[in-house]
Amino acid sequence: MGDLHLEAIYKEFPSHRVVDGITLTIPQGCFYSLLGPSGCGKTTTLRMIAGFDEPDRGVIKLGDRTLNGLRPYERPVTTVFQSYALFPHLTAAENIAFGLKRKGDPDTARKVKEALDLVQLSAKADRLPAKMSGGERQRTALARALVLQPEVLLLDEPLSALDPKLRKQMRLELKELQARVGITFLFITHDQEEALSLSDQIAVMNKGRLEQIGTPQEIYLTPATRFVAGFLGAVNWVGAIGVRPELTRISREAPGNGARVVEATVSSAMFLGDCFQVETKTPAGDSIVAQIAHGLGEFQRGERVHVWWHPHDEMAIPQ
Amino acid sequence: MMRLRTLFLLPAWAFTLLLFLGPMLIIVVYSLQTKGVYGGVVEPWTLENYTRLLDPLYGVILLRSFVMAGASTIGCIVLAFPLALYIARSGTRKTLLLNLVMLPFWTSFLVRTYAWMFLLRDTGLLNSALLALGIISEPLPLLYNDWAVIVGLVYGYLPFAVLPLYSNLERLDKSLLEAAADLGAKPWETMLHVVLPLTAPGMRAAGVLVFIPCLGAYLTPDLLGGGKSMMIGNLVQNQFTTARDWPFGSALSLALMAIVMLLLWALLRRDGEEML
Repeated sequence: MGDLHLEAIYKEFPSHRVVDGITLTIPQGCFYSLLGPSGCGKTTTLRMIAGFDEPDRGVIKLGDRTLNGLRPYERPVTTVFQSYALFPHLTAAENIAFGLKRKGDPDTARKVKEALDLVQLSAKADRLPAKMSGGERQRTALARALVLQPEVLLLDEPLSALDPKLRKQMRLELKELQARVGITFLFITHDQEEALSLSDQIAVMNKGRLEQIGTPQEIYLTPATRFVAGFLGAVNWVGAIGVRPELTRISREAPGNGARVVEATVSSAMFLGDCFQVETKTPAGDSIVAQIAHGLGEFQRGERVHVWWHPHDEMAIPQ
Repeated sequence: MMRLRTLFLLPAWAFTLLLFLGPMLIIVVYSLQTKGVYGGVVEPWTLENYTRLLDPLYGVILLRSFVMAGASTIGCIVLAFPLALYIARSGTRKTLLLNLVMLPFWTSFLVRTYAWMFLLRDTGLLNSALLALGIISEPLPLLYNDWAVIVGLVYGYLPFAVLPLYSNLERLDKSLLEAAADLGAKPWETMLHVVLPLTAPGMRAAGVLVFIPCLGAYLTPDLLGGGKSMMIGNLVQNQFTTARDWPFGSALSLALMAIVMLLLWALLRRDGEEML
């Protein structure tokens, strides 16, 4: 047992360098997310930890054991695949028993039963994957990987194949599951909302490099780079200063002391259901968007307004 | 529209009726008549040709044919599986390798079978080489026995086993192999518990495609078995030539056809449209 260390990992494919010097430590028992756009190298990073690919340079360590060179079946980590990769000829229970049987575990039957209970699939134990719903397949894949009690569970965009409603529910279940089993989860995703809501720690990746590592709040509220700020949510840029639209206010009268104020003209106002989204243009040509709650008034196109925010909501990022 | 459709279907219907159902009907009629002195068929109508089929003498030949065809089929699948696996994993060279598998079809089967005779006979390439190397002092009897026939059949029908296995292995989701390794399966365990069960449909298809022509084979046992290794195909040929017993030959070939149809029906019921 121990923390998972990646030390200066590089990986090149014939066309380009996919992972370009990544160093990070994933603390034991942590829900850790690798967040980034598609093609940023996050899946390749996962594949190197699982042992499907070997890094060109760099060391992968679990505690003080080096994983480099070990075959996937020799590593104490398991994977939940994006497509789940359930064995189509085996039932849910048989899929879950697969790894235990390879180890010759004498307790296979009991462990399979417990794993089925853990993911609430006991009633579907004898179903083939083809006869399962998306959520059931997802749970089977989770149980199959968890039943081996890995030191690290690798999750490769495990929610992306589910419909949005189910995705939100599974997100909750995933978080609870991790708290219950206490295993290190390394979660790969391109969905910032998923990463923010699930993780203890997030590492944001772009073009094979790490942009920032931190807690969800740190990453969202004090992004280190413009990329991180923009990838995690919408940003209004006023010079080197960034403000989130939901922290931007609009009023007809000038606001009170301490607020940063810009005078602007409303260029559009949209009702989004949970809020109004008002887009304004400053005389300097910057576009500033504010999301304001109902009851704060409706604004008309062409109206001259004060756009303002609190200085402590500003994100100052050097260009 | 209807008339255009009929027009287009006409060649197919004509082909089926004239060249498939027609000859079949003739065989059925022949099988129910009596043999003529110089071949051909004469009256009276009889069922005797079918009761003769029950003679253990023919049962033995039928059984032999099944054993030989079965052994050849197993041989084909055992050889074809690793080959198909290799081709399926060969990336850009797949097309080239598949074409190489099909290459023998560019030459006549008869010529290729003669080539095997030149390889296997007492003064053939294999025996000469072994003699020259001093490994043996007398030629090995490689030709004119059951093994020579099985070698010839495996050689002849190997491509029919490679192609369905290849298409099955090619479609196999690679993430399943990664998942197996991830869950602790060593490569041979992945092969045994994931790849083999998932290629069962391909193996059944390969089995049918090889077994059926092997069962009715006539050229290979004739040339490589030297008449000593008789299969049902040779028996049928015998009836139409040496024995001049066309009615019994017809009954024999209908019996063989019935057995093959029964086998196909059993397999189709299992695999359904996947096989087609």
